[in-house]
Amino acid sequence: MAKQLAFYVDIAKCTGCKACQIACKDKNDLPMGIRWRRVFQYEGGEWIQKNGQMIPSSVYAYFVSAACMHCENPVCLQVCPAGAIHQREDGIVLIDEKKCIGCRYCSWACPYGAPQFNEDLGVMTKCNMCYDLVDQGEKPACVQACPYRAMDFGPLDELQAEHGTFNNPAPLPEPSITRPSVVYGPSNTTKVTGDTSGHMMNLEEL
Amino acid sequence: MNTHEWALIAFTLLTQLSIGMLIATLTVRAFAGRKTNPERTAPISDLPIYVVVALMVLALIAALFHLGKITHVIGAVPNLATSWMSREVVAAVVFTALTVLLAFLIWRKIGTEFMRMIIGWITALMGLYLLLAMSLTYMLPAQPAWNTLATPVTFFTTSLLLGVLGTAAVLVFTHATVDSQIIKGIAVASIVLVGLELLTMPLYLAFLSTQGAAALRSLSMMIGEYGWALVLRLLLVFAGGGLLAAYLFKNASTAKQEKMSTTLAYSAFALALVGEVIGRFLFYASSFRIGV
Repeated sequence: MAKQLAFYVDIAKCTGCKACQIACKDKNDLPMGIRWRRVFQYEGGEWIQKNGQMIPSSVYAYFVSAACMHCENPVCLQVCPAGAIHQREDGIVLIDEKKCIGCRYCSWACPYGAPQFNEDLGVMTKCNMCYDLVDQGEKPACVQACPYRAMDFGPLDELQAEHGTFNNPAPLPEPSITRPSVVYGPSNTTKVTGDTSGHMMNLEEL
Repeated sequence: MNTHEWALIAFTLLTQLSIGMLIATLTVRAFAGRKTNPERTAPISDLPIYVVVALMVLALIAALFHLGKITHVIGAVPNLATSWMSREVVAAVVFTALTVLLAFLIWRKIGTEFMRMIIGWITALMGLYLLLAMSLTYMLPAQPAWNTLATPVTFFTTSLLLGVLGTAAVLVFTHATVDSQIIKGIAVASIVLVGLELLTMPLYLAFLSTQGAAALRSLSMMIGEYGWALVLRLLLVFAGGGLLAAYLFKNASTAKQEKMSTTLAYSAFALALVGEVIGRFLFYASSFRIGV
């Protein structure tokens, strides 16, 4: 049986340039408003004033690049009334646009906001892990496009052996709901799910 | 709020009204026929059954407008194994088919009243399953404002409240005189259900305050931006299903009050219906998914 495939993102290396997001849009010819991969900016902390100057104290900001997590427990697949979502042996979760009825129910259930409604097609669409490239032995477009080599792709167990099992940086949700196939490399300021010290920024870009 | 959610407000409320009316009507039929030949008393409650069918047809048409591809409606069926939405769709279609069968048997006077009542209660059981499936459709872990016991409690009470008041409205429309015992029974049921709704709301709001950021956002919207809608909803339901129903109960046995009872029954139903529409609007407008 094929191994579960997964993404790896090194938050310490990511500068939030969104090259991954754009590469995804380009590769998949996504219309306005649809972003299969999104880069969340999370920041918080406080500045203090000393001798008339503002001095950074606990200020932090970091970026979390996220797409469909091709979860071990894909709730989108379970709730889809049309049976339009299936999971390959290698764990890639795919939407069959011919079967999808566009009810958007999967978008209510997925805490990662992965399934997105395409108004032109009248169906849900989401990251397919560039399975066409993967089947040819290549890596997904987002991974290939990252100028900082902050992203990687491969079997989940191998990524975990190399980078650990951290999969819940804030602002991502509690992973126990879907068990996402993803590994994040934290920076020294990365907060975990449920953190209330920071907030997402530049929401209009998401 | 977009048109897709209006389609769901219409679908869920029409379906719940329909199921509640069927249960109320069957109870009225059984009650009316208890001391005499049920074949003679049954026809007084024929019209509500036809109304139930019409409401379900409207509900199914409304549901179509929620889909991105209306032509693919049959595609909503296959995933019965794991999807409560599939189960909801199938249950809605089967329930509608059974109401059509029941209405046809009543219209053509096929079989005995006893047999029709058996089919009626089987249909009602399917309706109760539909209410359950509808509730579980919304009880998603990623939607904390929906993933609570308040969802099924609200769906069942809304269904029965609108059902008893709707049945009363149709009965007084068709008959100059309705057995005062039936009107009294309907009024008492209505008051109890309104009490349940009023009890559920503060418990629900208190529960939301303990369920994390997304639930707090829902709570904030419900008592902040849409606070007026929440208050209006509770006031309308209380006025219609509580106060007017109490007045209806008081006047039910006074012969000269027939005309007043008619007005009261219509008003009680109308107020409760508007209250429930606002409540369902709030249900969709104030739910926020956890995560990103």
